[in-house]
Amino acid sequence: MIKTIRLEQLLRDTPTPLSRHLVTRPTGRAVRGGIERTVAETGCAMAVLDFTEVGLLDMSCADEVVAKLLLAGIACHVVLAGLREDQLEAVDHVLRHHGLAAVALVADSGPYVLGLADEDMRRAFGCVCAAGPMTSEALADQLGWRSERAAETLAGLVAQRLAKAEGDEYHPLPLP
Amino acid sequence: MTRVVEVPASFDDRSFDQLAGAIGAWPPDARLLIDARGVQWVSPYGLVGLLSAAQALKDQSCPLPLFTMPQNDEVNRYWARSGFYEHAEGLFELHGKVPRHAPGSSETLLAVSPIRAIDDVHRAVTDISTNAARIVVEQLGIKAQETMRFGMALSEACQNIVEHSGSIGWVAAQSYTWRRKLGRKVVVMAVSDSGIGFRRSLESLHARRIGDRWGDGAAIEAGLIQNVSRFRDPGRGQGLALIKRFVLQWDGKIAIRSGTARLSIVPKWDDDVPLAEHIPYFPGSQVQITIPAPEAP
Repeated sequence: MIKTIRLEQLLRDTPTPLSRHLVTRPTGRAVRGGIERTVAETGCAMAVLDFTEVGLLDMSCADEVVAKLLLAGIACHVVLAGLREDQLEAVDHVLRHHGLAAVALVADSGPYVLGLADEDMRRAFGCVCAAGPMTSEALADQLGWRSERAAETLAGLVAQRLAKAEGDEYHPLPLP
Repeated sequence: MTRVVEVPASFDDRSFDQLAGAIGAWPPDARLLIDARGVQWVSPYGLVGLLSAAQALKDQSCPLPLFTMPQNDEVNRYWARSGFYEHAEGLFELHGKVPRHAPGSSETLLAVSPIRAIDDVHRAVTDISTNAARIVVEQLGIKAQETMRFGMALSEACQNIVEHSGSIGWVAAQSYTWRRKLGRKVVVMAVSDSGIGFRRSLESLHARRIGDRWGDGAAIEAGLIQNVSRFRDPGRGQGLALIKRFVLQWDGKIAIRSGTARLSIVPKWDDDVPLAEHIPYFPGSQVQITIPAPEAP
């Protein structure tokens, strides 16, 4: 199940709603708590964190909401949606800082990797998203890579939770 | 006994050292009379710095300082419009007549505001976001979507007060034209607190690593350049990194003063020194971010 979580709504639902801005660490912690509760209650396999109508997002809050959520090993896959350019930058920065990556859905564009992912991972991610489930051999054929390079790169995608491994196939995240 | 401390006629981040020097050792050995009668011009840094001085005196249970207002009516009206007197009321014994004024002005991005807790940070971010959309876009010619970054930088600077200073602080932002230095409009954001300062905040985790060089200058450098934090959480220290990136992106300037040092990232258009050490002591930390309007193509 895919659960879309509107962060603007979570901001309004915090015990003392302060503004429509995702700023300050305490605010970020409160919103992260809301995300974790929603995921636990719904048992969703994929959480889409929707930033639509959120005002500012500062680094401290991006760190608390996104980076710490991933670092804590949340039980489902996470995709980010509705980020403006300044918000994309903030999330990208904190993810890189922690050596993390996440998928962002950007308007008028396909899914996009934010954070720490090298060029091989980005190309492999694009192939898996475009072509659907594939083995490392299929990826190696498609990109003209050696099979070890393809296998290693796909394993990296799975480790960063940018794709799923099922048997010897690698699947794209079930995006909404 | 009362000692007179004259506020420089043009009171900004650079002439602030004169004020700090005139106050002398902390806590001062006498009741202070802050004499602003001769002030002709003040920056947001000067306003929030004065409030921090008074707050520091209060924190150290010193006698309430006296404050004499600028004699120039127009200047005094500006101090009133900036919101200074609203907050100075409980921190100074005010001498002079507070002018009646309409709140704010066309160039006030953010009136002088206290930062005591996170709700103050939210309020300041909301105010500056609203005003930045009007002032920064119209007067500086910066694209609307870029104005979000002003709020982000301000948010990070203000959070440092709540998270690190151990006291309360003040923030203000204004746009004006720097005719002599730059010939362009600038936005100046100033944040000041009367707390423990960079050196004491970072000492327990970073003094040993830095060794003999440890002091106010090295501590500011650790925070601004190396982006270290007093918290062991590896996600910390990114706020100043964001501010630095924002400043560099806009060919701006950031100057941080704490204790007896001031460290700046100096753009080509400014003649400040990158590091000034052994300057007169002043409590807490003072940050000024200056963003110029882009040069006409």
